[in-house]
Amino acid sequence: MTEPLLALHQVSCHFQRNNEDLAAVDGVSLSIRAGEVLGLVGESGSGKSTLGRIIAGLQRPSHGTLRFNGAVLPEKLQRRRAGQIQMVFQDSYASLNPRMTIGDSLTEPLLARGERRSVIHQRQGYWLERVGLGARFAQRYPHELSGGQRQRVGIARAFLCEPQLVVCDEAVSALDVSVQAQILALLREIQSDLGTAMVFITHDLAVLGGLADRIAVMYLGELLELAPCWQLLNTPAHPYTQQLLAAHPEPTLDRNKVQVIAPRTTELPLPLSTDVGCRFADRCPYALEACRQTPPWLKAQAEGRAVACHRSDDIAGVAPAG
Amino acid sequence: MAMLLFVLLGPLVWQQDPSQQWLSQVSSGPTSGIYARVVGPISTKGVGNVSRLTVLESNTERVQLAWPEVVSVERFRLYRAKQHQSGKGLPLWQGRGRSYTDELQLRRQIYRYTLVDADTGMMLFSTETRPEPAISVFEAQLQELIPASATVYPEYLRLPAHPLGTDALGRDILARLMAGGRSSLFVGIVAPLLFISFGAIFGGLAGYIGGKFDQFAMRSADFVVALPFLLFMILLRIAFGIGPGQDGILPLILAMLLLSWPSSARLIRGQVLALRSQPFIDSARLSGVTTWGIFRRHIFPNVLPVLMVAFSFAIPQAIFTEAFLSFIGMGVSPPSTSWGAMCNDGIKTLLSHPGQLLWPAAMISISVLAFNILGDALRDTADKRSGGVGQ
Amino acid sequence: MSVVAIEHLQLALSGNQVLREVSFSLEEGECRALVGESGSGKSLTAMCLLGLAPPNAVLNAEQFSVMGQPLPAQGHRDWRGWRGRRIAMIFQNPMTALSPTRTIGAQLSECFRLHRNMDRRQARAESAALLERLAIPRAEQRLSQYPFEFSGGMLQRVMIALAVACRPKLLIADEPTTALDVTVQAEVLALLRELQHEQGTSLLFISHDLGVVANIADTVSVMYAGETVESASVASLLRHPAHPYSEALQAAMPRLHSREITVAIPGSPPDMRGTIHGCAFAPRCKHRMAICEDSPPLLISPRGAGVRCWRWHPDYPERWRLQHD
Repeated sequence: MTEPLLALHQVSCHFQRNNEDLAAVDGVSLSIRAGEVLGLVGESGSGKSTLGRIIAGLQRPSHGTLRFNGAVLPEKLQRRRAGQIQMVFQDSYASLNPRMTIGDSLTEPLLARGERRSVIHQRQGYWLERVGLGARFAQRYPHELSGGQRQRVGIARAFLCEPQLVVCDEAVSALDVSVQAQILALLREIQSDLGTAMVFITHDLAVLGGLADRIAVMYLGELLELAPCWQLLNTPAHPYTQQLLAAHPEPTLDRNKVQVIAPRTTELPLPLSTDVGCRFADRCPYALEACRQTPPWLKAQAEGRAVACHRSDDIAGVAPAG
Repeated sequence: MAMLLFVLLGPLVWQQDPSQQWLSQVSSGPTSGIYARVVGPISTKGVGNVSRLTVLESNTERVQLAWPEVVSVERFRLYRAKQHQSGKGLPLWQGRGRSYTDELQLRRQIYRYTLVDADTGMMLFSTETRPEPAISVFEAQLQELIPASATVYPEYLRLPAHPLGTDALGRDILARLMAGGRSSLFVGIVAPLLFISFGAIFGGLAGYIGGKFDQFAMRSADFVVALPFLLFMILLRIAFGIGPGQDGILPLILAMLLLSWPSSARLIRGQVLALRSQPFIDSARLSGVTTWGIFRRHIFPNVLPVLMVAFSFAIPQAIFTEAFLSFIGMGVSPPSTSWGAMCNDGIKTLLSHPGQLLWPAAMISISVLAFNILGDALRDTADKRSGGVGQ
Repeated sequence: MSVVAIEHLQLALSGNQVLREVSFSLEEGECRALVGESGSGKSLTAMCLLGLAPPNAVLNAEQFSVMGQPLPAQGHRDWRGWRGRRIAMIFQNPMTALSPTRTIGAQLSECFRLHRNMDRRQARAESAALLERLAIPRAEQRLSQYPFEFSGGMLQRVMIALAVACRPKLLIADEPTTALDVTVQAEVLALLRELQHEQGTSLLFISHDLGVVANIADTVSVMYAGETVESASVASLLRHPAHPYSEALQAAMPRLHSREITVAIPGSPPDMRGTIHGCAFAPRCKHRMAICEDSPPLLISPRGAGVRCWRWHPDYPERWRLQHD
């Protein structure tokens, strides 16, 4: 088995709030292979965005290690990582400097690397065409573009220096459905052309169907399930995944399909001190007393699948209704 | 812009010494160049016979009057009134002579002299005259219009014009405005430049670095805000050993620098904090831009509009502060002047010659207005460039 | 008598025609969804129904009435009798829709005291009961808390409570679940359905998500570029979309169990600042014909859907041939 591109081991990110120790990300271990697309799914407070930032190097984890291409990365963001891991952001307007032209924003990574002017110009033109905009956009300013157009610029900028890994943090969440489809198609195309590894963070499982190779599900900072895309969508192992799938509104006519989950009784993030047992236990229909006592760890099941649940053997992969 | 041109180039064009005192033209209204008669010392030759109240000599230095003897009148009293005044006016003199020289505050307006019998009050003669402009030999020599030791001098001399008139000490107002403008605008521009830059750098670093440095920066800003300005001014003056009658521009600027930086520091810190969390900064970091590069290409251009606006609003503030301090005597002192000092002087003659206060006050107001408008315009263009509606 | 009857509603803002031709009706107890993307004018329509259109807006309509009564001019004083009591609205972002400086209890009680003339104690009791009904535990304690102490899902439920407190006849929900997690969304939708059936309220549900719409609506009006282009029952819309835009919208939605790549709609919505000639969707439509240069009238499809598309004209396709560009 080849060395994974990026390997995380027990990565945590703690912070202080009101003299309490809270964890946005708690003990996450996973690896990403070169050229693979990993979908990272979670609701608000799951820590997926924080994990994405840790992967990209924008956030320092308080515990755990990251290995990139085999080399252990020191905790400080290293410039040598620069350009090899890029990010596409959710807010396309805020991800561009409002006082810089599109062209300048786009070629900033190349400039930082000290590329020649001719190379920069050529790449700029190529990528603007590639994302469907056209070279004349180079002179425009961010406020002159629509949301979809800006997101295309963000994508161009991320792929421009041919990184090995691109993190997409809710890159399509702020867009209309029709534009979303366009941007997803674009991402898919570029990713498969260049063979870039990708971490696609989203709260909407449905967009991962055509995009991801594997999916990781997060809840309150912990990784609950990791499985190949279709296996997760069709035969989810963790109760939370099952409920996520069940709650997803599908344009079908079966009204009773959408099931309701018991409301949360705790607010997030959980203080570490009360970290007893499985964090999902309060909302889990299968929860036993044992579940509240000891936290489950990520168990490998079959090839490429892992679940963090005490009762995973009992719960056969229940297909969600519909 | 016009202001700057005015004060910098003006004195080159307007060849008048702002300290030059025209004794003959104290507090006069606007005049263009005039010819003044040169008047020597009073001649002591006798007065010939006249038949009625005659004006022998009439200029702003003196008016000489003579009148004939009148039977049965032993003592005379002479009155002077302005042309449209009713009544006899100001009693000037009473006595037995037959001539009198009036040197009392003569202006170039029509005076009416009335001669009256001192004992009975009966009006005897009356005449009117308008004194022509004159300048005494003494002053002419002082102003180096005629050589000091000359005994022969021309009859008429041309005096320079005073478009805005002169102040209470005879100094040309226009020239003083220009010189004063130099002081006022110097303080008004240099001081804000310094303290805004300093505040911005300090606040910007605090916002970007965060952590303990930020805490320290903000606490010291809080501390500075609490200090009293005037007290510091005085302390600095003492520290520099500047006495009460001397120019205090340096301590003035220093005091403003030390005490006014917190507002811009806080402003820029807020901006930097907001900017720092924007994804485009993250993107730049990911692309490998150095911290310095981020400052230069991303933070600075986005902070600049705010900075410029703050600057153009700080200038009027500084001008006012300087004016106020000069007004109370803590700023510049004579003979150098500033608009604030001129206002101070002008107060004294407000009722009789309001121009002396109004002109410097108008200058201050105009420049403040100009900078405020500049600030507004800058802010509007900045808004437009960042997208109009904003993010 | 329909609860809402709108015909040929037009709205102009600073010279731009932002609502060009909006028509729909709502019966008692019905839930109609208003579907469209950003810029289609759906939120603006909702604002007009509450009298909250921008002050410089020019509004024309052949019919614009609620419960048989024509609505007052926008911004008019008479609206006070309508809002809250007969028409209520649930906004998209619960965090910003509630006043952060007042307790939840105060904001809820306000409604009761204003519209139902209760005194303070009664209002508080009613508020607590209502919160319990909406599955907010420990309601009595919660009344004294401030909005920042609630999570998004809870706040949205409070918003719903506020809206239904006075039992309005018409409830307008403007993308109420867009800002919520998908699990919370499911709860909120279930709640709305329950309330609707209980109180017989008519619900106008605005959304861009066909999945959510399928869940909650009886009928749907699809809006594009300021027009209602299709008006049909939910079943009819999902199985047999009549308008090309509805069809394209369905195809563009990512599906959970579909391996197929979603089909994007080429092009982008028209700029509302200029005048639009003919069918607004024509530039992006794969069924485009020459006749589409004229604005299509409102036609009825064989399944009973109201649709603005020349394809449903009785003379189609004999009179016009398909033209592929």
